[in-house]
Amino acid sequence: MMMYVVRKNLVKISVSLLALICIIFALFPLLWVFLTAFQKSQGGVSFVLSDIIKKGFTFENFTRVTQIIPMGTNFLNSVITSVVGTIATLFFCSLAGFAFSKYTFPGRDGLFLFLILTMIIPPEVSIVPLFVVMRKLGWINSLLSLIVPRAATAVGIFYLRQYTSQFPTELLEQARIDGCKEFSLFIRIVIPGITPALASWGAISLIARWNDFMLPMIFLRSPLKQTLMVAISLLPVSDGLSTPWPVVMAGVATATFPLIIAFILLQKFDIADLMAGSTKG
Amino acid sequence: MKIKSYSNKVNEISYAYLFISPFFILFSIFQLYPLVWSFVLSFYSWNGLGEKTFIGIGNYIQILNDEMFWKSMSNTALYTIVNVVVVIALAFIQGQLLCSDNLYFRKTTKTLLVLPYVTATVAAGIIFTMLFDMRIGVVNDLLVKLGVQRIPWLISMEWSKIPVMILSIWRNTPWYMLIMMSAFLSIDIHLYEAARIDGANTWQRAISITLPMVAPVLFFCLINITIDSARLFTEPFILTNGGPGSSSLSVVQYLYLNAFTMFKLGYASTIGYVLTFFLVIVSLAYFRNLKKQSGI
Repeated sequence: MMMYVVRKNLVKISVSLLALICIIFALFPLLWVFLTAFQKSQGGVSFVLSDIIKKGFTFENFTRVTQIIPMGTNFLNSVITSVVGTIATLFFCSLAGFAFSKYTFPGRDGLFLFLILTMIIPPEVSIVPLFVVMRKLGWINSLLSLIVPRAATAVGIFYLRQYTSQFPTELLEQARIDGCKEFSLFIRIVIPGITPALASWGAISLIARWNDFMLPMIFLRSPLKQTLMVAISLLPVSDGLSTPWPVVMAGVATATFPLIIAFILLQKFDIADLMAGSTKG
Repeated sequence: MKIKSYSNKVNEISYAYLFISPFFILFSIFQLYPLVWSFVLSFYSWNGLGEKTFIGIGNYIQILNDEMFWKSMSNTALYTIVNVVVVIALAFIQGQLLCSDNLYFRKTTKTLLVLPYVTATVAAGIIFTMLFDMRIGVVNDLLVKLGVQRIPWLISMEWSKIPVMILSIWRNTPWYMLIMMSAFLSIDIHLYEAARIDGANTWQRAISITLPMVAPVLFFCLINITIDSARLFTEPFILTNGGPGSSSLSVVQYLYLNAFTMFKLGYASTIGYVLTFFLVIVSLAYFRNLKKQSGI
């Protein structure tokens, strides 16, 4: 019994230790953003912890970064792109997922297989013609170039179908008998029934859109039209030769902390269950 | 009441097509059309403004002899292998950790471990540029304290791939950790109890129960991270700009350079097609392997 208790405690200690190491590895870079962004830049930037604490904290880097790039506008662009983009993708993906799981129509399985196969081909392959398409549409320097193409994605339909297929068919039949039309069936009955899935997929979509970089960089050429990620990527070299690290990190903090805080508060990460579940069905 | 009228059925079918149409319309305009056009373009020489010149398989011949292209391919292959091995291994371990009964503050631990995934790759790239700086970087400060020489992480041919890999691992692990975790949680506990009664030890239980039960999820993770790593762009773009030379250049980054810096649009399309060719082969290999394993 003694041996068992000792062993049990040993396991507990090593598990906690492992957890601690993983957490340090995960948080270390973020901690440095925090330490650097609030540091006074006079007298050179220090990267030694004790110096940083001695120097005291300041918000001046955040003011300076808004003088280098139009941070407010960039922030707004990011918010519009990610929020509108997420709402649009949730709507169209769940609508298609609903159709794929609850209707029988000719070619359904073939179309769904096709949809899955499209995920293998990297979108970067056709980046040149895509750019030309955007130019013809007049969407260069427009947020539409980021929102519209991904309003319905294969991957989103794939996951949301898992949830709509679990939705009880009898409820739909009953509503049809009561005279409910197909579209209001979706709006009034299906959507309220799959809100947890929508919230999870919404969180994933929001993160992906907020953090998106390559396409925004290609499509948004003028500083006032850029999203935050494109704007901060130019920060290290935009102020003459080089921007001081505390100012750059103030930009990085502005771009990342809102999402991190929102995530910690909302805790919407049941998405992994959605993923794991979808590989079984 | 069960029998639906014919017109009702037709009505439902047309609604179904209507509901799935947005994806197929958007796909046609923004993916299929560019994809086909890209294929045509790969047989042309074009700078984006002037006339296109048909050069047959000229671009494909050029790519065979393009050292920079093959360098970027081998870099990407290396990034992919490292990502697949390290990320999946770490995700497996962390997933197990989060499922362990011996872990205190499970929820807090999970939240903290997921934060790298919430951080944008661009932002993380800028942070890592500072951390891996030769003179002022914290990584080198730590090495000096350990008695090791400063390493020119971002500015030497030998080392430049390492920060790119670490950044990619740091950012990608949490996502797969979450997936693995919920796969572990969905395993029936009774299976473990049965195995314990039969006298199986921890290792045997892991090999004979956990692995086979999470195999489909593991496969899903493998194919996902392979495709994602093959598209690696932001990490080297921010950290090293592909350099020094082309020592850390990735394929998609080389494609981007050809398209938007050198304006060799036909050639860029050719690069895209060669990359796709490799990805399709890898995906097929995965699928074949899965079929063999599951005995279909």
